[in-house]
This record gives sequence, C-alpha cells and structure tokens, in this order.
Amino acid sequence: MSERSESDRLQNESWIQRMIRRPEIGSFIVMIVIILALGLASEGKAFNALGLKNNIAIIAQLGIIAVGAALLMIAGEFDLSIGPMIAFAGMSMAIMLKWGLPFGLGEATPFTAFAITMCMTLAFGWLIGTIVVRSGLSSFIVTLAFWFFLRGLTEVCFRLINQNTNVSGLPDYKQESWFAEQMGGEVFGWLYDGWFWIGQKVSAGLEFTAGMAKDDKIDLINYLSFLNINRKMEQWVTGFDARLLWFIIIAGVAWYVLARTQIGNWIYATGDNKESARANGVPVNRVKVGLFMFSAFCATIFAACQVFDTNSSDAAKGMFKELEAIAIAVVGGILMTGGFGSIVGVVFGAVTFGLVANAVFFIPWIDGAWFRVFVGTVLLAAVFANERIRKRITGGI
Amino acid sequence: MAPKSYMRVENVTKKFGPFTAVNGVDLDVYPGEVHALLGDNGAGKSTLIKILSGVHQPTSGTIYMEEVERSFRSPRDASAAGIGTVYQDLAINQLMSVTRNFFMGRELTSTLGKLRMDEMDQIAHDEMLKIGIDFSDPSQAVGTMSGGQRQTLAIARAIYFGAKVLILDEPTSALGQKQQMEVLKTIKRVRARGDIAIIFITHNEIHSRLIADRYTFLALGQVIGQGTKAELEGGDIRRLMAGGAEIKDLEQELAKI
Repeated sequence: MSERSESDRLQNESWIQRMIRRPEIGSFIVMIVIILALGLASEGKAFNALGLKNNIAIIAQLGIIAVGAALLMIAGEFDLSIGPMIAFAGMSMAIMLKWGLPFGLGEATPFTAFAITMCMTLAFGWLIGTIVVRSGLSSFIVTLAFWFFLRGLTEVCFRLINQNTNVSGLPDYKQESWFAEQMGGEVFGWLYDGWFWIGQKVSAGLEFTAGMAKDDKIDLINYLSFLNINRKMEQWVTGFDARLLWFIIIAGVAWYVLARTQIGNWIYATGDNKESARANGVPVNRVKVGLFMFSAFCATIFAACQVFDTNSSDAAKGMFKELEAIAIAVVGGILMTGGFGSIVGVVFGAVTFGLVANAVFFIPWIDGAWFRVFVGTVLLAAVFANERIRKRITGGI
Repeated sequence: MAPKSYMRVENVTKKFGPFTAVNGVDLDVYPGEVHALLGDNGAGKSTLIKILSGVHQPTSGTIYMEEVERSFRSPRDASAAGIGTVYQDLAINQLMSVTRNFFMGRELTSTLGKLRMDEMDQIAHDEMLKIGIDFSDPSQAVGTMSGGQRQTLAIARAIYFGAKVLILDEPTSALGQKQQMEVLKTIKRVRARGDIAIIFITHNEIHSRLIADRYTFLALGQVIGQGTKAELEGGDIRRLMAGGAEIKDLEQELAKI
C-alpha cells in the first residue's frame, strides 16, 4: 500500500525498546541500585543467611499491604485505613486469644480468632467501600475518618478488656496449631537446609585442603558469611518467615487477576474513566467495594503474621503503614489517578523499600532516619516518572 | 417499493416538567442508509437520541423495531434490542489497550474469568479492519490513537456487539479536517454493508450532504423538514439547517448591527 495511514506513524519497536518503555522499568532499576549499594555498604552482611531472612521478612510484610493498596489505586481510590486496620485486627486476635471468643463462645483457637477477625475487617472494608461509592465522596476523606475511628476503637477495646494498650506474653501457638505455624512460623526451610549442607561441604573442603588451625577456619567461615553455618558449626538459620509465602501468594494471585482476567480489565476500566466503564456495563461500584475489602484482607493477613510471630499485639501496630503502602505502590509505577500500573512493579517497590528500611541494621554508621529522606526523594521522583508515562500514553508528549 | 424500516419513531414527545424538549417527532431509519439528523444547538437532537438509546423514556409516542413496538427502560434494553450509540466522549479509556477497550465490560473469558486475549486481539483487529483501520498492534494504548481512529474503534465495537441501528452523536465535531474525512469514510463503509441503519447527528451541513441518504431537521424540538436526498435540494438543506431562516435574512440581521 503506497498510501500512508495514521497507524503507520507508530513505529515498531525492538524488544529492548519495549522493555525500556515498560512501566516497571524505573522501579526495577532503583531496586537493582539499592541491592548493589546495600550489598557493598554492608560488606555482604545484608544478604548472608540471617540478613536475607530479616530483609525478606520486612519486604514481605510491606509487600502484602502494598499489593492491596496498589489494586485499589489502579481502580482510582485510596485507603488510608490500612495501618489502623492492622492494629484493629491484631488487637482483635490477641484479645480473643487471651480472653476467649465474644458472646461466651468459649476458648479461642488461633483459627477461630483469625476467622472472626477477618469477618470484622472485611465488614469494615465493605462499609468503607459502600460509603465511598454511594456518597461519591473522595476516598481520601472517608478512609481518613476510618483512620481515626479504627485507631481510637482499637485503643478503647484494649483498655476496656485488657486494662492496657497491649497484649503480650501469649503462649507460643506455633508449637501446637498448624494454622498459627502457617501465619507466624517459617517456610522454605529446605532452602536453608540445602544452604547449610553446601556450607558443610565447603568448610570440610577447606579443612581438608588447607589443614588450617581451628581458629583460622572459624575466622574464614565468618568471613565467608554467606555460608549458613554459625560459630558452633551448626545450622544458623532454619527458614524464611511465613509471611514470605503469603506475599508470594497474594502478589501472584493479584498479578494474575489484574493482568489476565475479566476482573482485572474491570479494575483498569474503573480507575481509568469510571463513566465510560459504566456505560460499557462494568459493575464499577462492586469493583471498588471488592477492592476496599481486599485491602482490609491484606491488612488482616499482615496482622495475623505479626501476632502469631511475636505472640503479642499493641495499639500502636501498623503505624504509618498506610503511607508506606501507598508510597510503594507509587514507586512501583501505579498512577495516582488510577487506571494504570502492574503488580510486578509493586513487588520491585516493596523489595526496594524493605531493604532501605532495614539498611540501618547492616550499616551501623547510618542514621535510621535517612530511610524517610530516601522515601521522600524516591517518591517524588517516581511521581514525576509516572506522570511522564501517563502523558506519553495519552498523547501529551 | 421502499424497503421496510428498521426503526420507526412515531409522534415521540419528551417533556421535562413544563419544558417540551422534543415535540411529536416522527423518524424512519432503513438498513444500509445514513439518516442525517440535523439541527442547531438546543434543537432537541440530544434528547431524541437519548430516548432512542434508552437513557430517557418518552413522555408519549412509540418506537417500533422491525414493526414491533418496543420500550426501552435502560441503555442496556436498547442495546439488547440492537441500538448501538456512539457518544461524543466515545466511552473509551485512554490508558487501556485497543483490545481491552473493545471488550470492556463484555470480555470473552474461559474458566475462572481468564481472558481469552489472543482471540480478543484477533477479533478487535478484524472488526476494525472491516471498517477501514489496520491495527498491527491491538495492545497499543488508545491514548496514542488519533481522534478518528478512536471513533472507528467505538463504531466497530458497537457493530460487533450487535448494533443494527447505529447512532453516531456528532462524530465529526472536535476533529481535524483529515480525521473528519476518515470518519466519513468509516461511516460509508458501514453503510456499504447494507444491514445497518445509521443515524448521523451533526450540525455540519457539508458532512451530511456528503454521506446522508435521508434527512430530518429539528428546530425547537420539532421536525421542520424531512425527506430523501432527492426530495431536498441543497438550498433547502442550508435553510433548514439554520432553523428555517434564509441566509439572506441572517445577512440582513448582521448588517443591522
């Protein structure tokens, strides 16, 4: 065809160009930079057996709520009540475990405490969502109201029932309850077992070849701290925190739903332009209410992992977590205005944030408050980058 | 003998309180024809198409589809009866891909709501090719498309989802010259299929003369002129377009100032 048509103006791109234009690329590059910087500055300690476990724990924790916040933001709404929802869920579970189920239903097991709490938080999620879609008010203000409401309610319940703003010293339910173990226990132990096995072989090899004195060998092993062996030559770390598995499940399901299913298309359509979505038959209100409930679900999983890990809870749990979740979503390439973004980017954002939040433990000379300086800087940069992407897609550039 | 009309509107009136927006309008649309609905701003065009597409219910009057009396209680009713309306804002989402827009709200799914993406890409591509745009990449975001291409997408979507009567609400306004021509070409291609009736709302007389087979002129909610292209002459069209006023009268009015 000799005639040029309008569609010819869009040039075909190579796969490298396509990769560079993907929305996740910014968060991916930031993540790689942080991994390398932290690895160097901590002399590898951040990624040895224990460092990896600790880092993954915080990455998974932040990632779980960031996925919930991200889906909601893609649908065009915010949830500021994530942090207080975490505190409320933690309070609810801890109090039931200590004082028994409500309405004289008897002793609580980890599962019943969790199930009843989940019903309550999902109901709150439904209520928030319904208020937002029915009133047409900004979700910012509605969830801000619930921020205060739930923070206050959590503290009141603690004081009324437990005469204190925390519950501590619960029995270690992980020993008996399979369910508690899935929440607060460890997963992927085989990975660390394998790591330990390799470490033994390596150290035996060193002993055999070098014929070193015992002290030298211990020094060497400490230096080679990526081996999963402690000073007594025993296994040092036995597994990742169970929340890693929850993070993988939640992020995996969220990715699949968003990218591959009808509901995913509805989420994008709702956040992009809800009037045109509605005109085409997308149940906009049900999508939004469902996502507010999903956000509450993620907060409850977060809380359950925390409660069964530490066997305690207190009213200050989840502080600032809603802001961190939103920040991770934005750094992960989610547009503030909705309608665009991917879960893969959010996972990269969670890795970045988790590593930086933990950096102070691996780099002793650094002040922990630098974390917030970093967050602020990266957040601003991410917003500019995202806005550029939006303009490019909508033809502004 | 004239072909049977697809949709017949008889004596439709719509009142909003004391205000009569549309007063006793008759309209016949035939398959394979473009019926231009012309009138100045406030003539009642928008209200009329909102009645036809089920957004408003008429105060009185009847709508027949293929000789059967129908009443539409919602846009969904109308679209199920085969009326596809393409509004000016097109109901298109800029950040989403062509395919995702094409199937928005009516996705093809397999088990567990999984999208049949390859199939949907293929259908979106084929349907748009039929009316004149060849898209190499249906995963391209709509925001990168021109206004004319977006119109084509919205029209192709309406046809694919079973529109027998296609209502186009000012499809050429807010477009550049070249894109206006693209849209007119698209309308011509749809007309050439022969099985779809098109209602083309415009206040651009030139565009209507280029593609319309039949005209209805509205002014102040009433029909002030109606007929086929052969029945009306160019002068008539221009006079009716201005709400019945002669250009000479307008010139005089302007000269007075």
